[in-house]
Amino acid sequence: MPALSITGLKKNYGSFAVLDNLNLQIEKGSIHGLVGLNGSGKTTTIECILGLQPFNSGTITALGQSPKELHLTKGKLVAIFDSPSLHPNLTVRQCLQHALLLCEKPTRSAIEVEKLLGVSRFSDFKIKNLSLGNKRRASIAQALLGDPEFVVLDEPFNGLDAEGVDDVLELISTLNRDHGTTFLLSSHQLPYLEQICSHIAILHQGRITHSDTIGNLLGSAQTTLQIKTPDSAAASKVLKGIPGVDLLSIDSDGYLNVTIKDTDSIAINKALVENQIPVAELILKRASLAGLFREITSEEVI
Amino acid sequence: MNGLLVAIKSELFVALRTFASKLIVAAPALVAAAQLMLVKLSEAGQQARDSLLGSSGFEQSVANNAYGFFVDGLSTGLTMLGLLLVAQGAYSFSYDRDIGSIRHLLIRRVSRSSVLTAKLIHLHLLALMSVLLLLVTSYLLSGALWEFAAIAEDGFELISEQEIREEIWLGLRLALLPLPAAIAFGLLISVSAPSATQAVTTALGITLAIDIFKGLLGDMANYLYASYQPSLIDQSYLQSVSRIVRGYSDVLIDDKVLQLNMWVPFPALVLFFVASLWIVQNRKI
Repeated sequence: MPALSITGLKKNYGSFAVLDNLNLQIEKGSIHGLVGLNGSGKTTTIECILGLQPFNSGTITALGQSPKELHLTKGKLVAIFDSPSLHPNLTVRQCLQHALLLCEKPTRSAIEVEKLLGVSRFSDFKIKNLSLGNKRRASIAQALLGDPEFVVLDEPFNGLDAEGVDDVLELISTLNRDHGTTFLLSSHQLPYLEQICSHIAILHQGRITHSDTIGNLLGSAQTTLQIKTPDSAAASKVLKGIPGVDLLSIDSDGYLNVTIKDTDSIAINKALVENQIPVAELILKRASLAGLFREITSEEVI
Repeated sequence: MNGLLVAIKSELFVALRTFASKLIVAAPALVAAAQLMLVKLSEAGQQARDSLLGSSGFEQSVANNAYGFFVDGLSTGLTMLGLLLVAQGAYSFSYDRDIGSIRHLLIRRVSRSSVLTAKLIHLHLLALMSVLLLLVTSYLLSGALWEFAAIAEDGFELISEQEIREEIWLGLRLALLPLPAAIAFGLLISVSAPSATQAVTTALGITLAIDIFKGLLGDMANYLYASYQPSLIDQSYLQSVSRIVRGYSDVLIDDKVLQLNMWVPFPALVLFFVASLWIVQNRKI
């Protein structure tokens, strides 16, 4: 049984279809990233999954339960939202004690998760007096009191400093490795997702256009090489003769842009030098999630 | 059932650590106490003025009967409690939705209907504690500042203490019956409104509008739960009891009105709560 299965999900806001026949399957034990442009429907998708938002048609099953009956998972599914979603007038410790009430079998104490998330020194601070980053840490802390099987995170890196991001990434990685916890992360921070996720789903124009492992997705994307040489014409001739190299263009600055497949920059450099073509610059541009995302959505990603 | 218990525990956990719940419990008693003390001060001033002018007040023994002030305290406290409960009912669900804390409950352990039921129960517990505190405060303070006595005229006992107590108990029961409906009305607004601020202003606005218009409805007002709730424009029986215990023997409750007072609030409670459940099941949270 997959951790999450969405089939034919449709959601309209008035006449505007924000989700149109969305299909997504998340296997247990994976870390799945959900990426999309602003307004593409990431949060709406998450809210539909969590039963917080009615949808027009389609089926959603998370840990075997429909969205309206997620409470039957008894805390095996938890969510961390874009906003902290904690009582502003309670202290961090009180929020954690409150969250303990919701755990059928708590596996960690409030003090343990405070230490884990680095909020021990703020435990007596009211939530309303915390910085956004620490609110987020407290929010994540209360989700980890039990032993969740499936964690849904909406923009988990918002408001976190570099250290906080590293802590969250480390935590996700540890929970996934040691406990087999499944994660669904919605974020704009593509480099972080690339670092942590096993799978990526790209949400564009109301549907999942790509959903695969990072390796497979990036494997299908092309690596490009920019070469600067005083003899562009001769270099073009040599490059055309190398298998796996496609010459794309020569730009106004004199750079030759090529895509490479089944070869590498060392082999290309060697071939040029052996043909007595001097190489002034050789810039390798590896395929990245951000590049792939731009390519798919044909729009700039923040 | 387990989910409902978790939801009630969650409500109580937050209530014990926040100011709003304490305000609801304490405010009616404090206001009633303040009223009684102000009346006593004003009365002392009046007595001093009368003795200087050499005139005596009207039948002091009747006017200064502690039962009258006790009922006044109850009436004031219950008026305030009614408004506070409507406001808190309207605030409770919508505020939790605004800050997002309700999402954690719904996703982890509790169904939407259990969340709403827990809020209804929690507000009833607050109301119960508030009424008990109001009763104790008003009774003790009235007894300390005045004297509880039977209504007598020219040495002849018109209404015995036992009869007064029975009448107060009836007035209190009839005044308490609409409170659950008021709570459910607040919750209905809470689940319908887009934000906590709008919920509170709408609920209080409608309550005050009902208060103004119920006078214009004539006998139709008897089918409105709010007519029996102590309020700013008072039609509750408790107001009449205040006159009875001051020796006005012409005030009696009509049997039909008594029956309506007993039976109108409960269907209103059920209607509001069922509507709230339906809305909460079908809206975005």
